[in-house]
Amino acid sequence: MASSRDDFVIAIRSAFLKKSNKQKFSLLTLLLLSIIIIVLSSFENKYIRQVKNIINEIVYRSSYVISVPENFILNSINETIKYSSFYADYKKNIDEIEKLKSEKISNIIIRSENEELKALIEDYSLSSDKILAKVIVDHDSPFLKSLIINKGSKDNIKIGTNIYDKNYLAGKVIEVNYQTSRVLLLSDFNSNVPVSLAPGNFQAIVSGDGKNSGEIKYIKGNYSDEIDNGNIAYTSGTGSIYKSGVPVGRVQVLKNQIPKIIKINFYSNFDQLKYVFAEVYNEKSDTINDKKDDKIINSNEFQDLKNTDKLKLELLNEQIEIYKNTNLKFSEENSELETKINELNKQLILLEEKIDEQDQIINQKEIDKNELEFLKLNLIYSKKCKKSFSNQRGYKFGTEKYRKCVLNKGKL
Amino acid sequence: MTIFHKRKFLFRIYSWLPLIILYVSVLNEFDFNYLDIEYFSFNFPFIIIFYFTLKDSLHFDYLLVFFAGLINDVVIGFPLGISSLSYVLICSFSSYLRSITIRPNIIKDWFYFLFVISLINSLNYTILFLIFSYELNLTFYLVNNFFTFLLYILFTQIFNYYLKGLNE
Repeated sequence: MASSRDDFVIAIRSAFLKKSNKQKFSLLTLLLLSIIIIVLSSFENKYIRQVKNIINEIVYRSSYVISVPENFILNSINETIKYSSFYADYKKNIDEIEKLKSEKISNIIIRSENEELKALIEDYSLSSDKILAKVIVDHDSPFLKSLIINKGSKDNIKIGTNIYDKNYLAGKVIEVNYQTSRVLLLSDFNSNVPVSLAPGNFQAIVSGDGKNSGEIKYIKGNYSDEIDNGNIAYTSGTGSIYKSGVPVGRVQVLKNQIPKIIKINFYSNFDQLKYVFAEVYNEKSDTINDKKDDKIINSNEFQDLKNTDKLKLELLNEQIEIYKNTNLKFSEENSELETKINELNKQLILLEEKIDEQDQIINQKEIDKNELEFLKLNLIYSKKCKKSFSNQRGYKFGTEKYRKCVLNKGKL
Repeated sequence: MTIFHKRKFLFRIYSWLPLIILYVSVLNEFDFNYLDIEYFSFNFPFIIIFYFTLKDSLHFDYLLVFFAGLINDVVIGFPLGISSLSYVLICSFSSYLRSITIRPNIIKDWFYFLFVISLINSLNYTILFLIFSYELNLTFYLVNNFFTFLLYILFTQIFNYYLKGLNE
């Protein structure tokens, strides 16, 4: 018994403490070093962070270089597959372009409406710069869905910076180095995005499922039955983590599962990301005119576009000044016209009064004419109509019947 | 192999090949994830470290394994030191097995490897979940563990061939 324990101790000592011919450190030393590093990492030690940043800068570049052959092979395979399905894709794309053309028009209208409404509710208008970033490391790890981009703190990237694939949300920055950053994708378990589900405007939180989709973990209120396939999820802006109104994905309800699972199929395909946009933005209460609509597409054109935007802004400011002056002139003209209208209204009233007076005169004349006619006829037919001793059928003078009789030329 | 002995530089490269492959694999995160098989993944560094610490510890520097762990943490995005601890622990267990083994048996090594990687993956999961509050999918860990165990035997055959060349 004692000898077997001795054997065990000897084996342990041999494994952990004894340095082999070419080993510079014993395993026990390295184990302790690892534990110290983990403990310091958990306390977010300043020196460990600096060491990590240095390793990050070196490793990300090295990883990019080492991944080149693998990426080349994968890209070649993808290209071959794409080429084989080229015609089918072409036909599909034509149909899609036609569909998108019509959708684009309605989108422009909706966007302008949206901007107007935002201005009305005094929402924050965002003046943003979208920086094009290249994905340098994209290892699809089953444990952490993340990627590395070639923009860092020198490009004004901060922790929490929103990352887009075209106009769709792809994730946010969780680690920033000087020239590189790590992006946590929406599909990661640790990613939680506050979204609104349209139609219905249901507030919910989408978490990644570790694959390439998300799952709704929380819905405000008991509205889960009202959510259906095809609903659209876009960021709600709750908590100011993500900008509001950015498309995230489409809802897919798995009704067979108990309890019902509501999945989100992200618009962005995270496996195919080569370039992404990092949005560095400042929040300020602003007018619609200050907003930039154009998205920067090409990195080489980025600087030019920035200058163009500046020029555009200057032109817009000039235009605003012109509009203001024109507006002033119009308002002056307007007040003049208003005075004229008032005068004319007064004249109109006077003329109406005149017309009334003239109408009254005309009426009076008509009455006088009738009276004269009656008096004329009265002279001739009064004998026939007036009741007297000899004319018992006649009427009493001054009555209506007498008047009628006279006007009827004595016919009783 | 006599050509290698004549050309010392080539021999040195050949003898350092496992470490080179280890560094390439940690930098490139070599695990065939692009095959798009759901849940499929395996931990190639675990296989290579366990095998070469067991069979060819002379050319397998522990310090370099430790650094490979640091690089792996940076590439994957885990807190610094986690992978280093895992790799050094694998070296320790493997070294212990080497010390107590008189007659090597591939099946015994294989199941011992399963025990080691299960223990290390559990430790990894516990540290990440409890200390660093990471949300992790246990299924991925189990499947990764299983495929790493399964593929060990396949890589063993390839590595045996390599060692045969080195020893000759």
